[in-house]
Amino acid sequence: MKRILIYIEQHHEQEGLDLLETARQIYQEEPYETYALVLKSQYDALKGIFDVIVDLSEECLQEYEMRAISEVCYQLHKSYHFDAILFPATSWGRLIAPRVAMMLDTGLVADVTDIAHGEHGLELIRPAYSGRIMASIQITGDGPMMLSVRPGVFSYTQHKKAATQIRIPQDLRYRTGGLKETGRKEKHSEYDIRESDVLISGGGGVERYFHELRPLAELLGGHVSASRAIVDKGVADRNVQVGQSGKTVNPRLYIALGINGALQHIEGLRNVDYIISVNTNKYAPICSLSDIVVEGDAYTFIHRLIDTIHKEKGYEGH
Amino acid sequence: MKIICVVKFVPDVDNFTYDHEKHIIIRENSRMMVNPDDACAIGFALKMKQRSPDTSIEVVTMAPESVLPLVEDILRVGVDTATIISDRLYAGSDTYATSRVLSRYLSGATYDTILTGSHAIDGDTSHVPSQIACLLDLNHMSYISRIDESSFSSSLARFEVESEQAVSSYEIQMPAILGLTRASGYRLPYVRYKNLNMDVSDRVTVIHNDVLCFDESEVGLTGSRTKVVGTHVKTYKNRSHHVVTTDQEGIDTVYRFLKDKQFI
Amino acid sequence: MDSKVVLEQLKGMLTVDQINTDQDDLYDAAADRYKKYAKARKVLNVPSPIAIVYPKDTQEVSMLLSYCNEHGINVIPRGGKTATEGGLENWKELTIVIDALHLDSICKIDTYNSQATVQAGVPLQVLEDELRKVGYTTGHSPQSKPVAKYGGLVATRSIGQFSTLYGGIEDMVVGLECVFPDGQISRIKNVSRRAGGPDIRHIAIGNEGALCYITEVTVKIFRYFPENNKFLGYLVKDVETGIKVLREVIVNGFRPSVARTYSPEDAAQHFYHFYENSCVLLFMAEGPKGIVSATVNAIEEAVETYKDGIIKQVDSQLIEDWFNHLNWSQQDIDDEMLGMIDNDSHAGYTTEISADWETIPKIYDAVMERVRNEFERAEDLTMLGGHSSHSYLNGTNMYFVYNYKILCEPEDELIIYHHPIQRIIVEETLKAGGSMCHHHGIGKYRSEWTREEHGSAYYMLEKLKQAFDPNGIMNYGTIFPQEEGMKYIQ
Repeated sequence: MKRILIYIEQHHEQEGLDLLETARQIYQEEPYETYALVLKSQYDALKGIFDVIVDLSEECLQEYEMRAISEVCYQLHKSYHFDAILFPATSWGRLIAPRVAMMLDTGLVADVTDIAHGEHGLELIRPAYSGRIMASIQITGDGPMMLSVRPGVFSYTQHKKAATQIRIPQDLRYRTGGLKETGRKEKHSEYDIRESDVLISGGGGVERYFHELRPLAELLGGHVSASRAIVDKGVADRNVQVGQSGKTVNPRLYIALGINGALQHIEGLRNVDYIISVNTNKYAPICSLSDIVVEGDAYTFIHRLIDTIHKEKGYEGH
Repeated sequence: MKIICVVKFVPDVDNFTYDHEKHIIIRENSRMMVNPDDACAIGFALKMKQRSPDTSIEVVTMAPESVLPLVEDILRVGVDTATIISDRLYAGSDTYATSRVLSRYLSGATYDTILTGSHAIDGDTSHVPSQIACLLDLNHMSYISRIDESSFSSSLARFEVESEQAVSSYEIQMPAILGLTRASGYRLPYVRYKNLNMDVSDRVTVIHNDVLCFDESEVGLTGSRTKVVGTHVKTYKNRSHHVVTTDQEGIDTVYRFLKDKQFI
Repeated sequence: MDSKVVLEQLKGMLTVDQINTDQDDLYDAAADRYKKYAKARKVLNVPSPIAIVYPKDTQEVSMLLSYCNEHGINVIPRGGKTATEGGLENWKELTIVIDALHLDSICKIDTYNSQATVQAGVPLQVLEDELRKVGYTTGHSPQSKPVAKYGGLVATRSIGQFSTLYGGIEDMVVGLECVFPDGQISRIKNVSRRAGGPDIRHIAIGNEGALCYITEVTVKIFRYFPENNKFLGYLVKDVETGIKVLREVIVNGFRPSVARTYSPEDAAQHFYHFYENSCVLLFMAEGPKGIVSATVNAIEEAVETYKDGIIKQVDSQLIEDWFNHLNWSQQDIDDEMLGMIDNDSHAGYTTEISADWETIPKIYDAVMERVRNEFERAEDLTMLGGHSSHSYLNGTNMYFVYNYKILCEPEDELIIYHHPIQRIIVEETLKAGGSMCHHHGIGKYRSEWTREEHGSAYYMLEKLKQAFDPNGIMNYGTIFPQEEGMKYIQ
C-alpha cells in the first residue's frame, strides 16, 4: 500500500484536500493511504476523508518556521516511509518543500498543473518560461517523489467516508527561531489586473456605462480593466489600465468592449489565450486579433450575455 | 559587511527558442540577462554599499562561461568581485544538483548575508534559495518586497513580505538568505556610457570542478533527481475571427465559446 | 549678469503674473521632446532657464528682446512646446523663455479673401475649429495639431498631413509680424504676390527663434468639402514600388491631400490589423467632387501601371478609421511622459529627410543597411522603418521611425541609441544630396551638420544671423553650430 503525505496549510484546507485528486491521478487504481499534516487543530473538514491526520498542534509551530516544519517532515518520513509527499504550491508550501526534498535527497517538481502517464511512466506537467512552455518532468532517484501542486487546478469532489485516525507524534526534534513575524497588515481587496485570468475590458465605447462591466466580470470569475480612452476621461482608475502606459496583462480570456485597439493598447496584451471583441465598428484594429468579433453595442451584449448565462445555469440546476 | 549575491542568468523569455528534440532551450540565440528578481538583489546590495562604502559585494553564478560579458557589466556598475561556477559536468543540473554545487562553493566563502531573487523567470521553481539555505543551515525568507535599510546589519535584517492578502513584517537573524522580488523596486543600474569598456577582468574568477571536486555522478543530468522528458510549447493559434452580432444567435455563439473553454 | 538682478529688472517691465519662476515649470522649459526620456527621469544635463515670461502684446516682446539684447541674455521663443529637435532646449545659464501664451487672439477671419490673421499663441486647432464653422479649413494638420501654436508652426517650417494638396506652412503664410533682437518690429504686408525684391517672409519662416520672434501671422484658408473625402489603400511589395506610384500620381499633376508609403516595420505601428507584413500605400483625395473623382481615377491608373508590385487593395474604411485616430493630443504627450517614468521605454524617435524621387529609395536602403550592420545596439531595436508622407513634383520625403529597448541609464540613452542612428541617416542623406531636415527643423542636435546641409549657401545663412542677431541672444545653439554647446551633444 502506497503512503502519501499531504501538507495542509493553515487557512488553505481546500487546497490540501484538492491534492487528494492529484494523488488519485498519480496512483489511479493502486491502493494508497493518505496522511494529512496539520499545524493547528482546526481540521474538521479533513476528518472522514484522510486516512490519517498527523496533528502537530501541540508543537505550536508557526507556518513560517520552515526549518522546523521541514525537520518534522523529515522525521515523519523516517517513521512512515512515504511514497509521495505533496505540498500545495502556496507561498509557504513552495518554501518548505525544497528544504524537505534536500533533506531527503529526493526529487521535487514545483508547481505541478497536470499528471500524465506516458510511455516512460509517470510524468508531472508544469509550466516554465512564464507559461510559454509546459514541461513534462520525471522524478529519478529512489524517492519519495515530491510535488508542489498549483492551487486551483486539481479539484477533489468525492467524499470518501473513511475512519480517520488522529496521530499526535511524540519526540519530534526540530529547531525553531531565526525568523520571526513582527507585524501584519491586511491589504484592501484591491486586485491586480496582471494577476487576473479573465479581464472584461472597457474602452471609449463604454464610457457611459463602464460600471455595467463588473457583474459580467464577476460572473466569469474575473476583473474589470480599461483602455486609456476612458482612464483619461476619469471613468476608470489608472491602475486598471491595459497598455503601453498602463499594465501588461496575460489573462486567459480578454473581452474588449468598445475598445478600438491602437497598438499602444495591444502592447499591453501578452499571452492572452482568447480575445472576444465587441465593437460597433468591425474594422476596429482589435477585431483582427479576436477569436470572436461581436459587431454591435456593448451594452446590449453585456445584458444579453448575462441573461443567457443565468438562464443556462438555471436550466442546469433543475 | 560582505554581501554575496547569488544570481542566475536567464534567457529573455519574450524571445526565446527551444529545441524540441533535445528538450533544451537554445540559449545561444536568445539574449541572456540577469534574472529580474536577482537583479533586485544586486540593486539592494549596491544601495547598501552606497550607504556604507566598506560593504563589499560578490556576485556568484553557476552558468556557462559565455555569460562572462554580462558578469563584467555587473562589475562595471560597482559590484566588487564575481565568481562564475562553470564546468561542462554541471550542464543539465536540476535544482537539486545546482543547489549542491552552489552550496559547496558558498560553504568555503565568507559572507555576512546572501541575497538572491525569489523567482526565476525561466524555470520558476524557487527551489534553489531554500535548498542552499538547507544545505548551509541558514535562515531564509523569500518574496521580500522591502528591506529596512537603516537596520540592515550583519546580525539582523528587518523586511516586509507582500502577498495577495497582506503585508507582513519579519525579523531574521543573520547570516541568512534573503530572496527579493521585483516589487522591491531595487534596480540593477545599467553600465554608464563612459564605463562601457572598463577593464574588469581582474575581478572575475571562473571556478571549475577541479576546485569543487564533485564526482561525475553527483552533478549534471546524472546527479539530478528530476529530468525533463518532454515539452509542449503554447503556440498562438490563428484566431478564428468569427464575426457575429448581438442578436441571440451571436450571444449564444459567445456563450458556447466561453463554456467550451471552461470560463463558465 | 546675475539672475537675481535680471528677475528684479523683469519685475519692473512686466506684472508679477507674467513672470513664472516655478521650479517644475523651469525644469520643464529646460528641454523639449528631444530629451524626453532624460527629462521624464529627472536627469537632464542642461541648465534650466531663470524665468518664463508671458508678454501680452508685440510692444512687450520688443521691450523684452531689446532688454535681453542689451544685457546678453539668451532668449528662447516658445509656443505649443511640441518641438522634437532640441529647438526649445536651453544651453545657457542665463536664459529667458518668452512664451506666446497671451498672444492668443484670432485677429481676423476673412473668407472672401481666403485669409486669416492670428497671433503667435493661437493653437492651430482653435483656428481650425473656427474655420470649420464657416466651411473653411487651414489645410494644415501636423500630428501636433491639437497642441501646436501658430508662432511655432511658422518658426519651424512645419508641415501637415495634407501637404501634398495644401503645401507646407511656407505655402500658406501670406504675411507676418516679427520682432528682432534690437526691438525692431517689422510687419510684412498681406498681398497675393509681389516682385519686391527677395521674399523676406522666408527670413522669419523657419528661423526657429534664432533670428526673430514671430508675433502674428496671416495664412491662407481653404474651402472645405469633407463630404467628398475618399480614401484608398493598398498593400505593396516594397518601399520603392510605393514611391513609384506616389510619383506617378504627382507628376501627372494630381494632388491627393494625403499620399503615403510605409515600410512594413512602420506599417506595423499603424496598421497591424491589416498590413500582412507588407508595405502600405495609401491616399486621401479631397476637395470638390470633380477633383476628387479625377484624383481617385488617377490613383487607380497609377496603381494599375505598377500592378506587378501591388499585392492587393485594402478596404478603404480601414484607411479612413486609421486617419480619424491619427493626431496626438496633449494627453498622448503626457501619457508618454508617465510611461517613461514607469517603464524603460518611450514611443521612439524619428528623423525626417527629403530628396528627389530617384534618390529617396537609395537613401532608404543605405540607411537600413548601415543601421543593421554598424549600429552597436542593433539587437535592442524593436522597430526600424519609415514612410514617405509628403510628395512634391520633384521628389518626396522619408520619415525614418525607430524605437528600441532602452538598456542603459537615462542619461546615456541619446548617445547610445538615438545619436548613432540619427548620424547614419543624416550622413547618408547628405552624401546623396538630400536634405537632413525635411520638417522638424534643425534644432540643436543637427546643428552639427548645418554647414554641410547648406554648403556654400551657409554664407547667406550666417550673414543673416550676424545682421539680425549680432549679440547671439536668440535661441543659442539652434540652427547655427556652437562649439561650446558640443558638450551637450557628445
